[in-house]
Amino acid sequence: MNEKRMFIFYLSQFDLPASKVEMIIDKMEGNYTFSNFCRLKFDFISSQLRSKMLELADERFVKAYIENLETLGINLICKLDREFPKKLLGIEDCPFFLFYKGDLSLLNMPSIAIVGTRMPTSYGRMVTEKFAGVLAKNNVAIISGLAYGVDTIAHRQSLEVGGKTVAVLGCGINNIYPSYHRDLANTIAQKGLLLSEYCPSTKATRYSFPARNRIIAGLSDGVLITEAGIKSGTLYTRDFALDFGKDVFAVPGNINNEKSMLPNEIICTGQGMGVTSPEQILQALKIDVKENKSVNTIQLSFEEDLICKALQSSPQKIEDLTIKTGLPINNLNSYLTILEIRGIITRMLGGEYCLK
Amino acid sequence: MLAKVVSFGLKGIDGFKIDIEADVSNGLPHFEIVGMADTAIKESKERVRSAIRNSALEYPVKRIIVNLAPADMKKEGALYDLGIAIAILSCNEENGIKNEKDFAFLGELSFDGSVKKIKGLLPILISARNLGYKKFIVPYENIVEASFIDGIEVYGVHSLIETVEFLKGEKELAPVKSCKFENLSSSTTYPLDFSHVKGQKMAKRALEIAAAGGHNLLMIGPPGSGKSMLAKCFPTILPNLTFEEALEVTKIHSIAGELDLKQGIVCNRPFRSPHHTASTVSLTGGGTNSKPGEISLAHNGVLFLDEFPEYSRHTIETLRQPLEDGVITVARSNATITYPANFTLIASMNPCPCGNYGSKDKECKCSPSQINKYLSKLSGPIMDRIDIHIEVENVTYDQLKSEGEEECSVSIKARVDEAREIQLKRFAKDKNYSNAQMTSVQTKKYCKLDQIGEQLLKNAFEKLKLSARAHDRILRVARTIADLEREENILAKHIAEAISYRTLDRKYF
Repeated sequence: MNEKRMFIFYLSQFDLPASKVEMIIDKMEGNYTFSNFCRLKFDFISSQLRSKMLELADERFVKAYIENLETLGINLICKLDREFPKKLLGIEDCPFFLFYKGDLSLLNMPSIAIVGTRMPTSYGRMVTEKFAGVLAKNNVAIISGLAYGVDTIAHRQSLEVGGKTVAVLGCGINNIYPSYHRDLANTIAQKGLLLSEYCPSTKATRYSFPARNRIIAGLSDGVLITEAGIKSGTLYTRDFALDFGKDVFAVPGNINNEKSMLPNEIICTGQGMGVTSPEQILQALKIDVKENKSVNTIQLSFEEDLICKALQSSPQKIEDLTIKTGLPINNLNSYLTILEIRGIITRMLGGEYCLK
Repeated sequence: MLAKVVSFGLKGIDGFKIDIEADVSNGLPHFEIVGMADTAIKESKERVRSAIRNSALEYPVKRIIVNLAPADMKKEGALYDLGIAIAILSCNEENGIKNEKDFAFLGELSFDGSVKKIKGLLPILISARNLGYKKFIVPYENIVEASFIDGIEVYGVHSLIETVEFLKGEKELAPVKSCKFENLSSSTTYPLDFSHVKGQKMAKRALEIAAAGGHNLLMIGPPGSGKSMLAKCFPTILPNLTFEEALEVTKIHSIAGELDLKQGIVCNRPFRSPHHTASTVSLTGGGTNSKPGEISLAHNGVLFLDEFPEYSRHTIETLRQPLEDGVITVARSNATITYPANFTLIASMNPCPCGNYGSKDKECKCSPSQINKYLSKLSGPIMDRIDIHIEVENVTYDQLKSEGEEECSVSIKARVDEAREIQLKRFAKDKNYSNAQMTSVQTKKYCKLDQIGEQLLKNAFEKLKLSARAHDRILRVARTIADLEREENILAKHIAEAISYRTLDRKYF
């Protein structure tokens, strides 16, 4: 490892903004030894941080740090590297360092960011699942932020269908927030990509989330907002996407539903494109749609057909289904399970069933 | 002069023999009771003295020592009063008491000489009979309780003087007539009935299965959806107690002093619903004067825990062993006692602290982490022991006002009884009464699947992401569903239905 590489690893520990990192590197003028660094004065670094930096300015410490990263399985890439995602280089305030776990080449795939509220309604869940599932099946990488709600559903659904997903964190990779998602993060690290601009041990702060939204917007070819309130953090993602000239897609929803306010507003103001099916996004990205098996080819028994017909207009609770189909509850329960296993219907939160 | 009579004490739910020895000798007037007696027994000195005097009998003005043997067993309660009094009176031959050695005496004395009811007579009599004792003198108030035991002669007495006259042969007493259990059990009425519950077909079906197979059940639903009402209707469809089960239940209720003395035996499956502020000990039993707790009082019946996550975590976790083994062993400094605790757990909870999570009409105000915290109160091991979980939904106004006839409890109970009979036959050689109590070996033996069923279960695990612990639970519930339909083999549709009662195994977030 050369001195420059060592010095870059050293700098990555301090969560410095990209601009300061670049200023430091400029000032070093090609001499990347620690002795040179200790000699120089940097007026843009606070004295507190400076003393902390001087404390760690030793080859031994940096080596220990690198070893630690290796045992955690975390890789580091910086703006100067050839593999650094091109899509990010163009954006304003591009991060200097990216820590990652997983397959970095996913960033070269066509990608859609799916973002939204942390507390979606059952409609939001259904829509997010549908879009994430179809897009991921068509080799579009699904990018999101590993937060509760829409983010998680998008990640889970793309993993479910065997697609690729990228999680951009607002915290260090070794300090997953919310901790409830550690398992999901591990799965994504194995089958997709886990990404963060923060040092692995950094804790999440309220500022880090809006900041990671710029990376989400930057990495993606388009941003899809399924459900979000008017004061949601998703606003940042939308604004970044518009600033970076990315496509914004929004799923229309009930005008009275608080959680559909933002997507509806995006459609009304013409900031983005209203989409009612995932295929519209694929077309916008100029991706060929893979043929899907239609429901009609599946053989249904009389009773199963009866249930599907009852579900055609809207999702139904089991209580209403007993009335509509006239089936006794024990048979209905078993048909519903079988239909669900066959992937024809899904059970939503709150016990409602709907056609897929 | 020395006299000796027999009485019985209680340890846990079993009786043990106690010899009451009275020694009346010359000396300064003195009365002493020895032999690990508790306060209630020490105070029996005063009761015995007053009772003897007020019965117009002669109280010896002598040195009286009473020994309760074996001396190393701790004895509690006032049930030895009668025995002590008879022992003292027997010391004086002038009283003319004979054949006191043929009887065992149980009863508390009042100052006026009347004999008062005692707790725990039934378990004492059962143990005493097994030890070979045949004749008993017990308080008259308790005789119904005693009438259910065969092979013993029980005499009910009102007062001390009546007892003395009987022992002298001056008065005839008829032994208690034995009573048939069957006549009692069918004549119960309940204030609630399933026909009062509109809609909720899914929940009713799940409760029917739970009743038939003795499965534990968890209801999740928003406030006001009728979870508690459904649970309160649950006893109306429970299968009848068998006589053996009834005796087990009565034993425990008798010890706890909760027995209805007019009826003498518990002939309905108990339904216990302790509030969520209940202390752990009140649930498990124990304490200084060891008493069975709520879970033992619910033995062979139902323990209903409303607002399940509101119970303290510690309390919930203590249910783990009884849910698995059907008994609770309470260890205290002076004794280790095992109480039976084979109950069906019916629990209810909201999906989140505010109660509206997943609801279509009302917005949930809880943050995701609040919901996680709420749900994580139910640890894996506890969920592992609950076979059926269902979502209970709010009933719509139309359903509430609908004229349609709802099925009444009696006809549901008929199906449940039939299914339970099949199970009793199946487990005739084993030690359990219901499908829910099947061990994993039994599950393998009795829950064989055909190829279609096997395939279905496999697909379900892959597609619905069921957790591994669900496997045996699904099989047991499917067995009960098959029993309800009088099917010899478990068919695919039974498996499919059983899977639909595993709501919580699926990931929500």
